[in-house]
Amino acid sequence: MKKDIPTGICEELTFANFFRSHAKSLRNYLYYKFGNEEQAEDVTQEAFIKLWENCASVPPEKAKSFLYTVANNTTLNQIAHQKVVLEYSKKGNHSHTDSQSPEFIMEEEQFKVRLQNAIAGLSEAQRSAFLLHRIDGKKYHEIAEILGISVKAVEKRIHGALQELRKQIDNIR
Amino acid sequence: MKDDVTLARWLNNEMDENELKEFEQSPGYATYSKIKEFSAQLTVPQADMDSLYQKIEARKNRDTVKVRQLNPWMPRIAAMLVLALGAAYFFISTHVTTHFAHNAQRETFLLPDNSEVVLNSGTEAEYKEWNWAANRRIELKGEAYFKVAKGETFDVVTPNGTITVVGTQFNVKARNGRLDVTCYEGKVKVTTANKEEIILTPGMTVGFANGKNLQLPNEEGDAPGWLEYETSFSKVNLPDVIEELERQYNKTITFKGITPKSPYSGTLPMNDIETALETVETIYHLKATQTGDTIILTAE
Repeated sequence: MKKDIPTGICEELTFANFFRSHAKSLRNYLYYKFGNEEQAEDVTQEAFIKLWENCASVPPEKAKSFLYTVANNTTLNQIAHQKVVLEYSKKGNHSHTDSQSPEFIMEEEQFKVRLQNAIAGLSEAQRSAFLLHRIDGKKYHEIAEILGISVKAVEKRIHGALQELRKQIDNIR
Repeated sequence: MKDDVTLARWLNNEMDENELKEFEQSPGYATYSKIKEFSAQLTVPQADMDSLYQKIEARKNRDTVKVRQLNPWMPRIAAMLVLALGAAYFFISTHVTTHFAHNAQRETFLLPDNSEVVLNSGTEAEYKEWNWAANRRIELKGEAYFKVAKGETFDVVTPNGTITVVGTQFNVKARNGRLDVTCYEGKVKVTTANKEEIILTPGMTVGFANGKNLQLPNEEGDAPGWLEYETSFSKVNLPDVIEELERQYNKTITFKGITPKSPYSGTLPMNDIETALETVETIYHLKATQTGDTIILTAE
């Protein structure tokens, strides 16, 4: 038996490619969840090490769900949850500044700040689902896979997140 | 609304024209559309993925030895699983369900197709629950009444012949080389040990003693008498009648002197031993004496 020849995820190249295509999404998701860059990176590292340790028993097509299951099961409670800090991309701003009045731009800037604060104030579950869709452009079924819930549950979270954001921004209480 | 996901559908551009128009009229629309627009411009602080990969590489190589050691267990665990599954299959597929009705007791149960079976005292029935659909047979030693579910069919196998049924009610008595079958509803096919085939329609009774047709008269009523503790006998040898009484009352009944030979036809109560014995005493001119659970019949 030649059990020393690595196959699947155990192969260096496959593992490296897998890291390249999934590590960033995982790290972003964990950032939305924890609101802490350091924690997000630590758990990402931990999840990939677990995957490597189990590479012989995890077939490549199951690797992604294995990764997120490990990440979701890793509980870090030593550091309190911090505020999620997000920025707006520069190119998004430009398209508006050209044609709008200064008052309008001011209003827009205020809105952006309120939105940032409102997102930071969302529950962990709603924020993760909402940002995976808005920032990482994940489809609902992909989000469902990542969070280990149904598509319907993802839709409920997105719906709830939007309602909550509007309440915060429009000061409806 | 608890299950409302309209906002999620809107955010994912899943709304049709009409829904969209209606949504645009709603009070929250202005804010929602701004949320949609600006949230798309959000970015996340960038991480240094290369250095993260370096850290993982470093830890990977350190942990490699441990990983290799775990590998030899995989085939063993797989082999154990295969063995366990095989054993489970063997156990389930050969598992026989057995129902007993001991003396002075009755037993009612349902077959996998919901057909009802009532076992008379001192009867044993066996069948395999596994793959019932392909192997519908029940082995019977004794007497039982079958109420077959509509459209269902199965075989009742006795030492003296096989009874094939389709959506029907019937009684089978297979004791001491004798087989009695009475049909109460539907159709019943009886195949004797010597391959003789007889089709029974409601009311018909057929009886064989050691492979010989006894030409029994038709049975009246729509269920066997024993269900109501009023067993009817048709040309039954006295020792067999006595055996039935032993089963029903859980007594030992013996003859002292000559055993009368003429067969018995008629009914006997199975919940009133006094009357049953009196009937037998009168017809066969016998005298019954009871000591404990033993009854001795003496010729007068």
